[in-house]
Amino acid sequence: MKVTIIVMGVQVVGRAFARALQQEFAASQAAARARSTGGQQSAAASSITGMSLQEAQQILNITTLTPEEIQKNYEHLFKVNDKSVGGSFYLQSKVVRAKERLDEELRIQSEQTQKSQQNTET
Amino acid sequence: GKFIFSLCICNFLVGRYAMQALKQVEPQMKQALKSFPTTAFGGGYYRGGFEPKMNKREASLVLGISPTANKNKIREAHRKLMILNHPDRGGSPYLAAKINEAKDLMDDQMKK
Repeated sequence: MKVTIIVMGVQVVGRAFARALQQEFAASQAAARARSTGGQQSAAASSITGMSLQEAQQILNITTLTPEEIQKNYEHLFKVNDKSVGGSFYLQSKVVRAKERLDEELRIQSEQTQKSQQNTET
Repeated sequence: GKFIFSLCICNFLVGRYAMQALKQVEPQMKQALKSFPTTAFGGGYYRGGFEPKMNKREASLVLGISPTANKNKIREAHRKLMILNHPDRGGSPYLAAKINEAKDLMDDQMKK
């Protein structure tokens, strides 16, 4: 009887700690993002995704980092590399990952723009 | 009291150890994840960019053929993909270069 109570207690404590650790980790990640520059975030994105910004631009043949050009080139390259028309799935994958990397870069840039606007307003 | 206290310490240390262990295997995990598409997330596409230096495995993936494909198959795959990806028709020069590189590599490998 006593052993059961202790085991249950251990489980509760264990779970609470696991939750606390997760929350700490998420909070420190968010804080790091808030503190970091666009350059740091961009480098992190390249490292995590295994695709550099430069390669993403080369794959989608992007000159200006605008949503319109990215979307247009992505749609064309995704279509011509589709398996249904005899395209290579590997190449299509790279097209997809390039789009994701560029979308992330746009997000980073807009976040940095917002941050600097907030700083000038205060 | 003391018992619970030492349990707390125990859980804390286990958590820290687990996170450190994860850090160690992270690069291997990333490498493993790169080599096959995962169907669970994002449509099953291959992850990451192209290899820093193209190898035979990647070349065969680029062309969508077997690594042991014969010369004819290599040529047909190259031709088909170059038509689809031709830079003069809106294709990406970078991807076209990769397709050419893949063909050259597989042709070279065949001669060996």
